[in-house]
Parts: sequence; C-alpha cells; structure tokens
Amino acid sequence: MNVDDIQQLTQFEIDEQPHIIVDREKCRTCDHRACVQACPANCYTWDEATELLSVVYENCLECGTCYVLCDKGALDWSYPRGGYGVCYRLT
Amino acid sequence: MAKYYDVIIIGAGPAGSMAALTLARTGLNVCLVERGKYPGAKNMFGGLLHNAPVLTDAFPSFWEKAPVERHVYRKVLAFMTPESAISLSFDNENFEQPPYNGYTVFRPVFDNWLAQEAVKEGAMLLCDCTAEDVIRKDERIAGVTVKGREGELRGNIVIAADGVLSFMAKKAGLRQELRSADMGVGIKLLLGLPEEVINERFHLVRDEGADFSFVGTTEGIRGGSFLYTNRESVSVGMVVHLESLTASGRTPYDVLDELLEHPQVKKLVKGGVPLEYSAHLIPEGGLKAVPQLYTGGMMVAGDAAGLCYTNGINLEGINLAMTSGVLAAETAIVAIEAGDYSAKTLSLYRKKLDDSFVMKDMKTFRNAVGMMHMDRLFGTYPQVLAGIMETMYRVDGKPRSKLLRLARKEVLQKMGLMDLVSDGIKIGRSLL
Repeated sequence: MNVDDIQQLTQFEIDEQPHIIVDREKCRTCDHRACVQACPANCYTWDEATELLSVVYENCLECGTCYVLCDKGALDWSYPRGGYGVCYRLT
Repeated sequence: MAKYYDVIIIGAGPAGSMAALTLARTGLNVCLVERGKYPGAKNMFGGLLHNAPVLTDAFPSFWEKAPVERHVYRKVLAFMTPESAISLSFDNENFEQPPYNGYTVFRPVFDNWLAQEAVKEGAMLLCDCTAEDVIRKDERIAGVTVKGREGELRGNIVIAADGVLSFMAKKAGLRQELRSADMGVGIKLLLGLPEEVINERFHLVRDEGADFSFVGTTEGIRGGSFLYTNRESVSVGMVVHLESLTASGRTPYDVLDELLEHPQVKKLVKGGVPLEYSAHLIPEGGLKAVPQLYTGGMMVAGDAAGLCYTNGINLEGINLAMTSGVLAAETAIVAIEAGDYSAKTLSLYRKKLDDSFVMKDMKTFRNAVGMMHMDRLFGTYPQVLAGIMETMYRVDGKPRSKLLRLARKEVLQKMGLMDLVSDGIKIGRSLL
C-alpha cells in the first residue's frame, strides 16, 4: 500500500487559497519536524539540500495532527473555506 | 445572513445535529452551520455507532429508518504478535434483539441523514460555512463570523459542536492549546468486498456485523487497530497516541501497512478493493482534558468538549457526543424560556452532564488514560501471552511444565516480575 496511491481515492474540492501556511524560517530551527513524519497524508516534505519545508495543502485530510504537533509556531493552520478541502463519501 | 436565531450550532456532526433536532422539535429558531459540502463530508471514525438512549428516544425503531450498514453481533478482542493472534470472541444472541447494541455506519451518510432529520423538524442548515470567530456582546458570546464571507450569524446561544480541534471553544477562551499527549490520530482504509464474501468469511448472516479490536499491531506504539464489517466493505485502521507515534519515528501509513500485511489480518481483508482513505484526531486525554464546557452565551458539546474515552475494552465517543448535544439543547430551552443566557444559567448543562452516564463514565475510567499509556501493553504483553499459548499447545516431545511455571518463565524472559506487579496495579486501578 502506497500512501500516494490510496490518497487518490479520497475526494477533494481544491481551494486556490491555501489553508496551511508554513513559516520556513521557523522550520529551519525545528529539531524534530514531527509534521513530516506524523502527517497521515504525507503532506510535508523536508528538503535536506535547501533546508526548506514544503507543504502540499491540496492533499490535507484536515485532521490537525501537524497543528497539534508543531511547537515552533511555524504553522498558520485553519480549516479551509466552507465547501473546500477534503470531501469524504463513505468513510 | 444577518438573521437572528435562538440558537446557532457550529458543526452538523452527531452532537450538533442531535442538538438541532431537539431544539427544532420545540419550535425554536435554530441554525446549524456546517463547513463541509454536506454534513459528514469532513467526518470519519473507526466505524461503530453505539446505541444511545437519546437516539432511540428521538427515533423509535431508529435502526429501521437510519442508513446503518450492519448491527454488531460479534465482538472480538485480539492480542497479536507478528506471528500469532490470541482472540476473545464474544457472540451474543442478546445483541441480536433491537434496539441493537451498535451499528456500523458511514459518517458522510449517517451524519447527513441525522442533519436532514433536524431540517425536517424546521432547523436551518447552512453548508459550505466555516465558522471563523465568535462575536461578543455585553460580556457574552452572541454569534459567529463565517470565513471568507461578509456577514455574520447572531443569536442568543451558540453551541460549539465543531469537533476535536474546536476553534470556537478556543476563540471563546474555553480551552487551552491542544497537547499531543492528549490526542490520538485515527487512520482508516475502506476496502470493498462482496456481501456474500463478508458473510462467509466472518460467519455472519443477514445484517449481522463483527467488530475486531487488535492490540499489539502498532509496532509497540500506544494504540490499537480495528476492523469493522459494513454491508459491502470492511473498515480497517488504527488509532495511535500522537506523542507515542512521534517518539517511534514511524509514519502512520507504514504502521497501517504492517497491519494489512499481518498474516491473520491479511486473510480477513483478502481481495478487498481500496475505496477511501481517511484520518482524524481523537480526544484521548480523558476527564482531565475536558475544557470549560460553558460560558455566557455558549456551550461546548461532543469531541469539542473532549467527551471521549477508552478503557481498552470500550471505545466510546459518538454516543457521548449525541447525548451531550441533547443536554446542551435542553439547557438552551430552559435559558431561552427564562430569557437568561448567562454562564450561571448555562451551568445547568454541566449539571446535566454530571448526572448522565457521560460524565459518570468519564469519571469511572479517569485512570484508564494512564493504563493506556503503559507501553508494555502494546508489545510485551501480547508476546508473553503468545509465548504461553505456543508452549502450551506445542507438541515436540519435550516434557511439559504446569501453567504457572510456564507463565513465570515467559514473564521473566520478556520483562520483570516487578513490572508485572506495577502494571497489575495500574490495570486494577483502571478497570477493577
């Protein structure tokens, strides 16, 4: 099972306006990057070469795991605007 | 959107919709605000809707009307090691009689149904609306603003049933920052299987369903896994303690993958076609993590209020949510009759919760949180049990020992006797 494959099964209504904004400078000072490891949707990637954290908010399941785990105040995390984001059918 | 309501409810989940239904039935002017395209679009859970008196009171013969998948007939608790499974399976004819003890449901289907029932009773449902902030007036909460839209919703009382992250309770100053130590993350994969295959594989007939809880399948991370049978699919997933997951360095989907590859689980899900993947946080902090439940003009219900517990055997939340929604609505009715929306009047909500099974159960199992943080439960104990079982059943021409000697040897090999005593005390305090 590949998370990127199973993620394709879930429906999203993608908003052009991101609901997660990361402060990359603060992420550089982070020693755990728990968001990268714990996100169930694999939304976060840390690039060792550039020392930059990137987020694919379009795949976000809105669970809030990263929001709870970030202790650097680096995440501006809110629910997407009404009607946008993940749209479960059968779970 | 500048209309004035008696009650504004944030979140059309089980707590919010039960509150809306209760209020609408008394003829009050209720607005139910939902951020999804439809109620349930943002909601997931393992899969079991517990029976709740508030549900059967609101809908007699509920199981004939609501879109439920199967009622739970068999409960299985299994301790697993990478090679083995030790199961306690409870099949009960008394769970065959309505009102059934629990049902597997799909949240986007069930939550939508429940909200539409509230609409039939006169509640106003506003989908596609994410509440952004609370509006204060005269020292109390008097409404909410909606994200990305001009305008606001105003009313006498706001019920925050906006889920585990409850931004409304936070904005109202009712809850602290959420801690990873108080949270579990649940992830789940829905696998499609033909109805006949499920019935044969799990020995079920008609609407019967099975509920499996697995301990020991989370690579030592605090938590457990589950499998629920729906009509034409099975829900397989796990709930892991967020702090423990982080400490493990593992990704949640890799741990789920291991579960699906477990030899005994693999047979249960064989041929399953992946249909949907989902994730959600669960408030697991127990009684001590319950926020302040009311303030002037506002009450908090369901996951938003942290009303959820597990003692290792019972995993309850949705029934507590629906009950808290009804109790918040009953309190709102009293407040509206009196024309008094102060914190003092709304404190009746806390009293009602304290008098109900909701807070009583939260209190009874307040120590279970500590037990569920006992790391040996998720690796060592399943291994000790499996070791005893294997030696007990293994036929290899070696002389046998009596059971106690066998158990002592297993315990000494894998842990210490003092560990067993201290864990025994913890388990005793939680369950006995």
